[in-house]
Amino acid sequence: MRSRGATRDLILDAVTIVAVLLMLVPIIWVFLGSIKPEHDIMSGNPWPTRVTFDHYIAIWNKEGFLTALRNSLIVGLVVAVVTTFVAAPAAYSLSRFDYRGRNLFSLMILGTQTLPAVAILVPLVVIVRQLGLTNTLTALIFIHLALGLPIAVWMLKGYIDAIPRDLEEAAMVDGTGRFGALVRVVLPLIRPALVAVGTFAFVLSWGEFVIALAIVSKAEVRTLPLALQSLFDPYQFSWGQVMAGGVVIALPAVILFFIFRKQLVGGLLAGGVKG
Amino acid sequence: MASHNAGSRAKRVGAIVPARFRKDHLLPYAMVSPAVAVTIAIAVIPLIYEVWLSLQDWYMLKRPQPIFGGLINYIAVSKDGALWAALGRTAIWTVGTVVVEIALALPLALLLNRNTAVARAGSALILIPWVTPFIVLGFGWRFLLDSDVGPIHQILELIGLAGGRSVLTDPAGALAAITFISGWKGAPFMVIALIAALKSIPDELYEAAEVDGAGAWAQFWHVTVPSIWNTVVIVGLILGILAFYSFDLAWIMTKGGPQDGTAIVGIQIYRAVFLDLRPAYAAAISVVMLLILFAASLAVLRLRRSN
Repeated sequence: MRSRGATRDLILDAVTIVAVLLMLVPIIWVFLGSIKPEHDIMSGNPWPTRVTFDHYIAIWNKEGFLTALRNSLIVGLVVAVVTTFVAAPAAYSLSRFDYRGRNLFSLMILGTQTLPAVAILVPLVVIVRQLGLTNTLTALIFIHLALGLPIAVWMLKGYIDAIPRDLEEAAMVDGTGRFGALVRVVLPLIRPALVAVGTFAFVLSWGEFVIALAIVSKAEVRTLPLALQSLFDPYQFSWGQVMAGGVVIALPAVILFFIFRKQLVGGLLAGGVKG
Repeated sequence: MASHNAGSRAKRVGAIVPARFRKDHLLPYAMVSPAVAVTIAIAVIPLIYEVWLSLQDWYMLKRPQPIFGGLINYIAVSKDGALWAALGRTAIWTVGTVVVEIALALPLALLLNRNTAVARAGSALILIPWVTPFIVLGFGWRFLLDSDVGPIHQILELIGLAGGRSVLTDPAGALAAITFISGWKGAPFMVIALIAALKSIPDELYEAAEVDGAGAWAQFWHVTVPSIWNTVVIVGLILGILAFYSFDLAWIMTKGGPQDGTAIVGIQIYRAVFLDLRPAYAAAISVVMLLILFAASLAVLRLRRSN
């Protein structure tokens, strides 16, 4: 009986490996394309005959790529920090206090999670124009705040809900005020979650395309996704370079997500399925 | 100030809303207000402004300043054949995306819902397409489908689904291909939701079904499917809303072409603002989309099973 179960597991494991590899073909293809010499790409060789970093060096030296990298980093980091600093007190407030308007506020904040960017793209573009903020990172940062904020508030609220009030009360009894209890009891306990939601906000901003496309037209304000699009010059483009650019964009997003996968997947499911 | 009434405070520990948490009335508002302010600025005001904009007469080539136009844009929407064609494509795209998501995710979730090292590693790796930005996937798939150097193009050509030219050069082929890619990108989210749902099915249900003589297929149909049905509906709705508002993939891969073959409504909104310079008209399209979405969501939610 046991050996039959083991054989069954082995067969299903083999099927699983094939299925997952098939799902990842495009990802693997992007990566291989970025390290393949040009002649392997042109001859359609799936596996590189040798590994080259020429494409990475080429895009590194391309005008505008480093500027875009810098812009994406600035926008992403500011969005990550501000999202965390805005979400944490809001989550604490929604978790710990009972007050008039609480349900309305929480509905408003969480409701924006189901509002896709394209649904409000038109008014955002017009408002940004009227404020004279087209082609500024400021506008991009401000709009990108909305990407990760709802899920950040929702996830942090879940973490704070799980902290027994007794712990805070005890700290208050010991003579620290509520703020002291917040800083000394709650913050240390939710620190991993704070880093996770900040990271997630960064990842969302890092790969965001349509809003950047709509409010940025100048080369010096471009973010990485826009720069990758401009690498696709129809007259002389190289698949290898576009794939290398793709890896530069995808890799940080994938790595950061995987570091905090446990927190993020749980939070997203809770936010998505229950919310 | 702290310790002289520690005893009475200790008694209140464990109350549902301890008095200390009720004491100052402004603190909770002060703490929540930055998040509320961001939400109002980036979601509430734009939504209200969108409705206002949709009632203006504002065609930037002819009229640089908006004036009140009443329902003029909505009348134009009702007569815009290209837009209704785009809505039709968006319906195919949305339903197609969700169908591909479920079709890919269900077998994967069943395979990955096992306690082996391979299944655990697979449940993590499967998330990569979902985390990877659209711009990377869009160009990756263009490469795969390229008629000169794309391996998937060669397979499609071999089995007769593509001629000498890439499917992306054919209006119907491009819509089908990009709809599939859209579903492939969203499938991992469905997979992790389904795994969570599968894990929560009690073993007793399967044991009872086995006692009743139900085979593997009957168990799947009478135990598994009803247990995960609501997850499929809710996650399908969330993914469907995202698909309904797609822009990135269709823009990155074909810019809405060839011959408008992939011009879904997200693309038409973008074109109305940036190519036709008619923001008020684009706002009217957006409002119509919100109304359709609202009605469709209510209909989809009726598919839930009540327990």
